[in-house]
Amino acid sequence: MSTVAETAQKSPSTRSLAARLIRQRSALIGLVIVLFFVFLALFAPLIAPYDPVASDWLTVRQPPSAAHWMGTDDLGRDVLSRVIYGSQASLLAGTIAVSIAILAGLPLGLIAGYFGGWIDTVISRCTDALLACPFLVLAIALAAFLGASLQNAMIAIGISAMPIFIRLVRGQVLSIKNEDFVTAARGQGMRDGPIIVSHILPNVVTPVVVQATITMAVAILAEASLAFLGLGQKPPAASWGSMLDVARQFMTNAPWMSIWPGLAIVTIVLGFNLLGDGLNDALNEKD
Amino acid sequence: MRIGRRLSVAAAVMLAAMSSVSAATLKVGMQDDPDALDPALGGTYAGRIVFDALCDKLVDIDANLKIVPQLATEWSWNDDNTELTLKLREGVVFHDGTPFDANAVKANIERMQTLGESKRKSQLSPIKTVEVVDDFTVIFKLDAPFAPLLSVLSDRAGMMVSPDAAKAAGDNFAAAPVCSGPYRFAERKARDLIALDRFADYWNADEIGYDRIEYLILPDSTVRLSRLQAGDLDVAERVAPTDIQAVEDNADLALYSSAGLGVSHLFINQSEEKGEDLAASKELRQALELSLDRTAINQVAFNGAFTADNQMLTPLSSYHSKAYPMPERDVEKAKELIAESGVESPAIEITYENSLTDGRVAQIIQAMAGEAGFKVELLPLETSSAIERYLAGNFQLYIGNWSGRADPDPTLNTFFSTEGSQNLVGYESSELDSVLNEARSEVDETERAALYEKAAGILLEDLPTIPLYHPSWFYGARADVDGISIYPDGILRVTGVMPKN
Repeated sequence: MSTVAETAQKSPSTRSLAARLIRQRSALIGLVIVLFFVFLALFAPLIAPYDPVASDWLTVRQPPSAAHWMGTDDLGRDVLSRVIYGSQASLLAGTIAVSIAILAGLPLGLIAGYFGGWIDTVISRCTDALLACPFLVLAIALAAFLGASLQNAMIAIGISAMPIFIRLVRGQVLSIKNEDFVTAARGQGMRDGPIIVSHILPNVVTPVVVQATITMAVAILAEASLAFLGLGQKPPAASWGSMLDVARQFMTNAPWMSIWPGLAIVTIVLGFNLLGDGLNDALNEKD
Repeated sequence: MRIGRRLSVAAAVMLAAMSSVSAATLKVGMQDDPDALDPALGGTYAGRIVFDALCDKLVDIDANLKIVPQLATEWSWNDDNTELTLKLREGVVFHDGTPFDANAVKANIERMQTLGESKRKSQLSPIKTVEVVDDFTVIFKLDAPFAPLLSVLSDRAGMMVSPDAAKAAGDNFAAAPVCSGPYRFAERKARDLIALDRFADYWNADEIGYDRIEYLILPDSTVRLSRLQAGDLDVAERVAPTDIQAVEDNADLALYSSAGLGVSHLFINQSEEKGEDLAASKELRQALELSLDRTAINQVAFNGAFTADNQMLTPLSSYHSKAYPMPERDVEKAKELIAESGVESPAIEITYENSLTDGRVAQIIQAMAGEAGFKVELLPLETSSAIERYLAGNFQLYIGNWSGRADPDPTLNTFFSTEGSQNLVGYESSELDSVLNEARSEVDETERAALYEKAAGILLEDLPTIPLYHPSWFYGARADVDGISIYPDGILRVTGVMPKN
């Protein structure tokens, strides 16, 4: 079973990956940022000082103070609590959308790349058609079609992000399907299914992980954009995009309403991008 | 050096020339793009703003909602209030040179009554025939007295278009409308601008202050305000209540405002299928009303700049009923009423157009009604799908925004009479129908007010809708624009608007 060993060598072990990642300063910063927001999202009910949807009619649009560190919004809700809870919508949208994109894109890319022929033509042409549409435009159109809600926004973003994964996986499969270890497996009488699962798949996982990290950033930004347009999280639940949508009306007289959710979006997107870039570098580092 | 000086002189001359050109153009920032620019077809508030400059009407209203002359200089009713005789202004011409006379009035009324897509048919249906007495006298003959007629003629139904141009253009009239207003149609770019040029032969030409008016479509109120602050606009329509302070504090700007005729109300579907518990139980509707603090809604959502009220008619109207003051919020009473109704934590769903203002109001209602025990879901929809659902009556509760009219009849009749065109909730009350019908033909103001008070009582008891507030109109303008006054209908009247000095 020397072929299997060879396959395993091709993808770096988790341990060496972690070691390489830590050597990348920017990747480490990205990881810390991402973990920080994951922590906020998971423990929002414990961290947030107020209920994010509880209005207080007497503290409407108050600037930051000891009681409300980030001020209050147009309905007297605590901005800090809403920013904290908003991380749930963002990370959830990012995770689910990317999962949808991978769950649909990975098998399609494997099939197209491995089998080729007419099935490849059909899948690739459809992918080209989807990629011809700008990502955000496609997501907006789908979200508007599906109706405004966080779930539908996730589905829309997931579908829009799927073609990238199809193309990535297909290209990856094309480059390995004629490698010796695949030919050998086939020569030993292995059928297509097991070959894909045990020989092809392990070799496409790493680029997919890198792509997924970068797509997370794109998906989070897309969720914020959709929410900004009123196509995301339903009110009164908090989402950074919808917070910005309301806040833009008060840019001059209540700037704290827009600064914090805006900063949160910038930071988390930066975090995922740094992490993605770092992963990419770490994985492509030559031994 | 010399070249430098010459250049700077040339630049100064050019600047002076440019500023004199821009002073002659009035740039108005508008929230919405009007629909068809034909008074027979128009259905938008934005359109009415443009029509003010484009099309004169038979009569106008003043700041106190009284009828004042425009193309008709005087009028009188016969003894049994079935004939309205109008004396017309002499020396008026349409933009295409056609003279305005009694025949033009007859042609216009008949056009609005018969044109296929006309939105004025029901408003003008009380007029049976138009009789031309002489060149400048017409008589509108009615079957029965119809008190709101003059008020109807003070809006689009009273706007006169050139009969020749209308005949020649056919269905295309709205693309290049020909009326007799102070400004004539120049060009239109959809969702961008509508431009009008000064009409030199206007009967009141001295009151025209600009060579050109450009209505620029800028849906975002913050964008309108910043362009006004930058001097890029001369007038901005619908300044957000939260931006009023910014306009008032700016020495280069002036704020113009008026309480409005409009109303924002929570329309409640009366059909069991769509309205569910709320349709079946009067107690629940009353509980919902009592759970709301309208003053707080006004304060939180609009900085208290609007008027909180429990009736469809504005308090400006002499028909607003003083006998039914706005109830105080009473959460305990609301809880009792919910208990009485036997429904546990009644679920309600509010549909609304996804605008920032309605969104804010909906969330406040959600929180307030929630405290009384309602489970409130919000369904914000993009404008066209919201309106589609609204017109189909496909909602449980809907935040309706009605621009209002000077006369109470168009508001109450269209929304609450059984056959009313805006009665989308299926409300039926034979008692209200007969009261509204009677009020329609009652010409005596005191008698009429008594009837509308009765109507208000019926509506507040049945609650087919919960009126929330009456919006006020806020216009911002550059300080060097003179002569702006805003009336309760919220229309920018451009006659008399001039550059200062």
